[in-house]
Amino acid sequence: MWDAFGFEFVNFYFIPGLVLGCIYALGAIGITLTFGILRFANFAHGEIMMSGAYLTWTVMAIAGAAGLTLHPLVAMVPAAALVIILFLGTDRFFYKPFRKADTIKVVMASFGMMLIIRSAVQAIWGPNQITFVPGIARPNATLQSITGDMGMMILMPNKHIWIFAGTLVLVVALGYLLGRTRIGKAMRAVSDSPDLAHVTGINVDMVIRATWIVGGICATAAGVFLVMDTQMLETTMGFRMLLPMFAAAILGGIGKPYGAVFGGLVIGLAEELSAYPWIGDAPLLSPGYKTGVAFAIMVIMLIVRPQGLFKGRSF
Amino acid sequence: MEAYLGYFLYLLSLLTVGGIYAIFALGLNVQWGFAGLFNAGIVGFAAVGAYAYALLTTAESPFHIGGFGLPLPIGMAVAMALSALIAGVIGLICIRLRSDYLAIATIGIGEIIKLILKNETDITNGPRGINKIPRAWEHFSEERFYSSAPMSWIATPEQWGAFFDSLPNWYWQPLFAGTILLTVYILYRMLERARLSPWGRMMTAIRENESAARAAGKDVTRRRIEAFVIGAAIMGLGGALFAQHLRLIEPTNTFDPSKVTFLVWVMLIAGGSGNNRGAILGGFLIWTIWSASELFISGGIALISSTFETLDPSILATRAGFLRMMLIGILMQVILQRYPGGILPEVRPASPKAVKTTAGPTGDDT
Amino acid sequence: MKTTLLATAATLMATTAMADVNIGNPMAMTGPIPDLNAPIAAAVDLAAANVNAQGGMFADGETLNIIRADSACDPTAAVDAVTKLINVNSVSAIVGPVCSGATIAQAESVSIPAGVVTLSVSASSPAISTMEDGTDLVFRAAASDAYQGVALAELAMANGMDSIAVSYANDDYNAAIAEVFVQAYEAMGGTVTANEAHEPNKASYRSEVATIGAGSDNLALFSYYGSGGITLMRNALETAAFTNFIGADGMLSDELIEQLGADNLMTSTFTTSASDDSTPSFGAWKAIADEAGVPAADPFVANGYDATFMMALAIEHAGSGDRETIAESLRAIASAPGEVILPGEWEKAKAILASGGDINYEGAAGNQDFDENGDVAGNFSKSVIVDGAWAAELIQ
Repeated sequence: MWDAFGFEFVNFYFIPGLVLGCIYALGAIGITLTFGILRFANFAHGEIMMSGAYLTWTVMAIAGAAGLTLHPLVAMVPAAALVIILFLGTDRFFYKPFRKADTIKVVMASFGMMLIIRSAVQAIWGPNQITFVPGIARPNATLQSITGDMGMMILMPNKHIWIFAGTLVLVVALGYLLGRTRIGKAMRAVSDSPDLAHVTGINVDMVIRATWIVGGICATAAGVFLVMDTQMLETTMGFRMLLPMFAAAILGGIGKPYGAVFGGLVIGLAEELSAYPWIGDAPLLSPGYKTGVAFAIMVIMLIVRPQGLFKGRSF
Repeated sequence: MEAYLGYFLYLLSLLTVGGIYAIFALGLNVQWGFAGLFNAGIVGFAAVGAYAYALLTTAESPFHIGGFGLPLPIGMAVAMALSALIAGVIGLICIRLRSDYLAIATIGIGEIIKLILKNETDITNGPRGINKIPRAWEHFSEERFYSSAPMSWIATPEQWGAFFDSLPNWYWQPLFAGTILLTVYILYRMLERARLSPWGRMMTAIRENESAARAAGKDVTRRRIEAFVIGAAIMGLGGALFAQHLRLIEPTNTFDPSKVTFLVWVMLIAGGSGNNRGAILGGFLIWTIWSASELFISGGIALISSTFETLDPSILATRAGFLRMMLIGILMQVILQRYPGGILPEVRPASPKAVKTTAGPTGDDT
Repeated sequence: MKTTLLATAATLMATTAMADVNIGNPMAMTGPIPDLNAPIAAAVDLAAANVNAQGGMFADGETLNIIRADSACDPTAAVDAVTKLINVNSVSAIVGPVCSGATIAQAESVSIPAGVVTLSVSASSPAISTMEDGTDLVFRAAASDAYQGVALAELAMANGMDSIAVSYANDDYNAAIAEVFVQAYEAMGGTVTANEAHEPNKASYRSEVATIGAGSDNLALFSYYGSGGITLMRNALETAAFTNFIGADGMLSDELIEQLGADNLMTSTFTTSASDDSTPSFGAWKAIADEAGVPAADPFVANGYDATFMMALAIEHAGSGDRETIAESLRAIASAPGEVILPGEWEKAKAILASGGDINYEGAAGNQDFDENGDVAGNFSKSVIVDGAWAAELIQ
């Protein structure tokens, strides 16, 4: 039907890989910050993402009942606020008691939170799929005709443009926060060396709160972008994203938000490109193994270079 | 009378499944409780054991490779050996990773093992799984066993057939449960001996202070790999028994990490990590709660709907399954916060106090 | 501890379970397909409600109770749930589990050894036909994939698709039906240009779609609509990799219209067990279902109603809730000879049985005549979009 080595590579493998990568990247930012600053792997992060998407849908539904059509990116703002409250509440009641205890305790606590949040969402919204935006997203016609005239037609629906733009804005904002503001510098300091940071008089509790807030915003955005792409909500999507996001965080180096962004893009691209017919006509790797790509990268990375590409923390 | 038989059989099934989970928890206790290795890929080792057992002992089948029809003990031994072998390879590569990193690596490896079992359809029948797995004791009443040696030496197939027809159809259930309980007991005695031996004390030393142990001339890496391999072999045995209990295994839902890996971790943490008795108690207790909570919740909903006639319980009923998951999550938070050392906290073999007193229920010594 | 638990559980259960007829109904309430499961569960409840509204069970009008448990599409959970249903709830028979793996596991591990009849709602794996080892205890109200795969291959040929790409979700149901389809289709002279599994529940299938899309415009898609099927189809439509779609009943749902829009589904055809208004059985069922707000043509919903209704008829025919005679009665009420009973006609069936007559249930999802393996041969219908909704037509 088409030439497999034409511009289709960009449209059907590279761009989808980047879209997936953006979603992984935003999720991985929260994971890497929690891992670096609070020193545990937060298994509930995927569920937080998922509940952020459900809350966004609810905000849109309420606004819709009042006769107001909200874009998901607008409805995301109040949802993100609720997610931050959820994050801070979880931390206060379920993670804080273990701050001085074994890591395994707080990891188990986060595993328990994963179950609680997921079943709560299932009990409240029901197990059925919910449509986010119905219909098919056709490629943006303007972009298609402009790039088509230049001889490299890019087929990209509007939702992907929004996802790229949203990710870019968030990553730039994060860069400003971490690089230019007091609290951001404090976060980096705690991530690099908590004891030293404590001695220099950094308010660690404040830093932890900031971590949850940043993580909450990024997780909500990741969840909303994911459902903008798939156009439907269902309750296991958070857990499915969790391990690739861990892989992204490890690839980039624990405690390194930029590393997580890079890692997310690499994992997203690797998953989509693994099915590309690099050699001959058959897919390089059977799509049945697609999920395994992220795991394999993660395991190899842990063995070969556990500090990640960006020299993150290695415990 | 019949009702009591039903309760008795349900009790046996609780002991059977609880016992299998206790075996998993004992295996994890060797890895985490003794050696401090955070293995979050239990599901992978269980799957390896279960598939090895299933492929070796089932009758020949067109759906998957072989069906070699070997005797059950051989199947279980190979399940343990194969699981140990894979753990050895993983151990050689990954054992230097610490704590959370090892956890994430083992999760990834467990998932890759599952993906292989799922996609190599010619060998494993892929997502449709392997069925007709022989179950200990019950398998004697299958024709292919009683019509061949050694059972055919004792009596003719017709006589065996008549004999099994004369037994109640649940005759194997107490025997199977008994076998599992015996296995748990033997493992417990062996692990207790190991724990109190110099090897076990060295494990504790390595876990608590690695550099001191290394300075004292101990081969830390080697001991770690040993613990990892022994734990994995026990998990492989648990997987083989799990396959016998279910009689059908398939890679996706049978070996769901949140129902195997996570549940076993909850059992060990609740029971008391480092304490073999705690691991066993956790296995039985958490499984009983998990299984019986369904009866409670559906009974509770029935009670609500019969008390308040106007209330429509259908919404509650369709979502009861989720409430159950939520209860398990909450229970786990409570145990973590109220009993940080588990219900039976670890008792140090080396400490002189261990003989005289046991630690309090809060168990601050972890 | 355990005894207290059991005693309490027993008391709780005793409030509902005295002197009534109990049918155990393990369903995949949680697990991978809760959305597919919900309307089936509603159909099971609807059948029981119909029975109870039209005079209940036996001469003294006992209540038919559906005792639901969660099999989660998971062998472990199914074995546990059915153990409880059989031993603690003392059910007469099992109607349920939804997934093939869970059905085989619970049957081999619990219900066959205990001598309890299982009538599966939707398990379609060919392995179920051959698993009973000389007993006659496992039945199903859904046709084996061996039938539907062939019907679908015939449909593809009839629609003039001489080459096709196949994509199937890597789970027990879809992998099985895809295999049968590919064999049958190639035997009929069709060319399969690509045959790839896809992992269910991924966020994006664009690369898969692009890879298998190079050879053909036709896609045979085997997936549950809820766990990746809609996403894959959306990606295929967005990238215009495929124009024509065919698939089995896992994809057929109003959800598809709601999410993708009817305009985009004009080139799609999905088969399902007969759900054609031209058969009087389906007409009767549709009337009942529409009144109760149950989606009549969703996957396996009609089968769920049939299974429950037939089990109630079998118990009525046997004259008591004793487990031993149900299998025989199930065969007696499901096939000729006898007066034809349509879905919902409980009162009529009950009167005939009371006078010692024979009945023959003709189900909403097919004639439901069991063969020696306890399987039903399916009639299948194909559904296409007409006026923005699925319209079914019987395949001859």
